[in-house]
Amino acid sequence: PPEIRAAARERTRSGPAPVTDVAKLCVCDLLVAQCDVNCCCDPDCSAADFSLFTTCSVPIVTGDSRLCSQKAAIYSLDVEANPPERIFKLIDQVNPSIFCIHATNYKNALYFSSPEMPTSENFDQLLKEFGSATFSTEPDTWNMNIDAQNPPDANETYRYEYGVPIQTVDAFLRLPSPIVSSWCSDANPAAFLVNQATKCTRPVSMEKCGSIQALSMLFYINSSILAVNITVQSVVVQSLNGMRTSLNSSDVLRLPTILDELCINVVLGVSYHVTYTDVGEIIEAAASFVLGAINKEALSMQQSFEISFTQVNTKPVPLSGNPGYVVGLPVRAGFWPQGYPFPNTNKYGQLTILQSTPNQDCLAAQGARTPILFGYNMVSGCKLRITAAMKCQPLAQTLLDLLKGQSFPEYVASFGNSQAHDVLDWVPITHLHASEEGIYNTFQSSCQIPVSLEIAVKWTKYGSLVNPQAKIVNVTATITSTTLKQLPSGRERTIPITSSVVFTDISSPAEPGYKAWPTINAKLPFDFFFPFV
Amino acid sequence: NASHQLSSVLLQILLYINGIYYIFYFLATLTMIVYKSEVFSYPDNFLAPDLALLLIMAVLEVLRLYLGSKGNLTEEEAPLGLSLALTVGSVTLSVYFLVWQTYVLRADVVMNAVLLFTYGLESLLKVLAIAAFVS
Repeated sequence: PPEIRAAARERTRSGPAPVTDVAKLCVCDLLVAQCDVNCCCDPDCSAADFSLFTTCSVPIVTGDSRLCSQKAAIYSLDVEANPPERIFKLIDQVNPSIFCIHATNYKNALYFSSPEMPTSENFDQLLKEFGSATFSTEPDTWNMNIDAQNPPDANETYRYEYGVPIQTVDAFLRLPSPIVSSWCSDANPAAFLVNQATKCTRPVSMEKCGSIQALSMLFYINSSILAVNITVQSVVVQSLNGMRTSLNSSDVLRLPTILDELCINVVLGVSYHVTYTDVGEIIEAAASFVLGAINKEALSMQQSFEISFTQVNTKPVPLSGNPGYVVGLPVRAGFWPQGYPFPNTNKYGQLTILQSTPNQDCLAAQGARTPILFGYNMVSGCKLRITAAMKCQPLAQTLLDLLKGQSFPEYVASFGNSQAHDVLDWVPITHLHASEEGIYNTFQSSCQIPVSLEIAVKWTKYGSLVNPQAKIVNVTATITSTTLKQLPSGRERTIPITSSVVFTDISSPAEPGYKAWPTINAKLPFDFFFPFV
Repeated sequence: NASHQLSSVLLQILLYINGIYYIFYFLATLTMIVYKSEVFSYPDNFLAPDLALLLIMAVLEVLRLYLGSKGNLTEEEAPLGLSLALTVGSVTLSVYFLVWQTYVLRADVVMNAVLLFTYGLESLLKVLAIAAFVS
C-alpha cells in the first residue's frame, strides 16, 4: 500500500541520528554486549568488571571545548575503595576565555552535516553535483548501438587517442580473446595503439564447418574501419602436422569447405597490422591469416589473434629498453660496414645462440637459433657424432657455423635504445680463442674443432641510484677448441657441443658520500689593523 | 538668560561617550568577525549578511549621534525625535548581534549588552529633553 511505502521512504531518507548526549557517548566501547577492558564508560560493564580495571582509558567525554558552557562526563576509578569502583560525574564545564562561543545560529558550525540521502527524485541532481567520469550514468565512448544515434560518416576521418576502441561501420574492430575462461569471446574491442596478442579456444565441429562464422576469413575482414577497408596481406596455410606454407595469391578469399573428411581453410590465427598517421588517423589496415584444417574428432581448436600498430613512414625498431636494457628483452646487435667515417646504414642482426633440439643431433639441428635475452643466462648444446670418414676442415667450419650462426654480429648496443648513428653507444664483440688442452700443445698440425662458445656479457648499472639503468660494457665471445684425433675406421665418437651466455653485473657498489666538514670562514677585514698597517 | 538652557548636559556627555565607545565596538566586532572566519567554519552566505549589517549599523550610528547632538544643542525637537527613531533601528541591530549572529562569542555578549544599556539611557534622556523643549 502506498502509505507504507511512503513511510518506508521517509525512514530510508535519513541516516542514523547523531549521538550528542555526553553521558551516552563512549568511544572505547568497541565490543557489542561485552565489557571492554579499562573502558569506564562502557554500559556493558558491571561492578565486578570495574573492580578489575586499573585505569580509565577515557577519563572525560565533552563536547566542543570552544563552547562557553558545556556538559562533561567524568569517569574515574576509586582505587582506595575495596573493591575499586567506578565514579561517574556529570558536570558543567565552563570555558573561561572571552572568545568562547556563547551561541551559534549556524547548524553546521559544531556538528557534521548529515548528507542528503539519494532518492529517486534527487538522484539526478546529486549525480550531476557529485558524479564524475568514473561514476557517470552514460559512458560516452561505449555506445554500442551507434546507428541508433548518429551513424558515422564513412568519409570522415576519425582521430583516435591511445586506448580508444577502433570503430568500424557497425561496431568495433573485434579481437577475440579469452574472458574469464579460455573460450573465445568476440566482444573484446581492439584499442588504438595497444599492441595485443591473445589466444583463445573456439568450439568447433566438422558438421558445422561452413556455418560457424568465426572460422571463416570473411568474419575478420568484413567490417571496414570507417573508410579504410581491411586488406588481406598474406595467407599461410598450416597442414595437420604443423608445416606452414605461404600462399602466393593472397587476394582470393578462402572459405571453409569440407574436403576429404577434413574441414579446410579454417582460420587458426589473424594478425592485424594497422598503419596510422601522427595525428591519430588510421589510414591502412591489413590482416594476415593462418588457415588450417580440422578433422572430425576435433571438438575445439585454439585461435591466436594479434594486432600491431605502425606509424606511417617509419620503420619501427623495437627497443630493448629506454635507456637501459630491460631484463627479458633481446640484446640488440648489428654490423658496421667497412669504411670511414661510419656510414649511417646498418643491418640489425640479432645476437642468437644455438637452440637445443629434442633429437640433440648437431648436424640435424637445421640452424634453429634463439635470441639472447638480456639478463637471462642460457646454456644450450647438442651432441656431435664423429665418424672416421669426416674430414677435419669442413667439420670445423660446420661447427663454427653451428655455434655462431649465419651472421654473427660484430657490435652490441650498450643501451636498449642505442641509435645506429651513435658510434660510441655500440660495444664491439671481442673474440677469444681457447684450447681445451691448454697452451702446452703447440702443435697446430692436428685438427682443432670448436666445441664450445661462451658469450660473456658484462653490464653495469648506470645513472641515478634510485633508478639505475643497465648498460652493456663488454661482450666477449670465447671459442674453445679441442683436438680431433683421427679415429680408426668404423669407430665413431660422440662429443658434446655447448654454447652459453652469461650476464655479469660489474657495477661497483655504491659508496656512501659524506658532506665535507664545515670550515670556519674567519677572515678579518683588510683594514682591521688600520693605523698600523 | 544663560542659565535658562534646556539642553541636557548629561545627554551630551552620554552622546560623546557613546561615540567613542561605538568606534571601539565597531573595530572590535569587525576584528572578531575576521577571527571567527579564520577559526570557525564561516561560509560566505553567512558572512556577508553579518558584515553588511555591521556597516549599516555604523552608518546609522553616525547619523543618529549627529542628529541627537545637533538637536540637543540647538534645542530642537525634530532632530532629537528623528534620532530617537533611529535609535530603534540601532537597538534592533544590536539585538541581532547579540542573539542572531552566526557566532555569538562571550565578548559579543558583553559589548552588545553595554551598547544596549547605553541606548536605553540615551533614549530616556532624549525623551526628557524633548519634553523640556516642547514645554
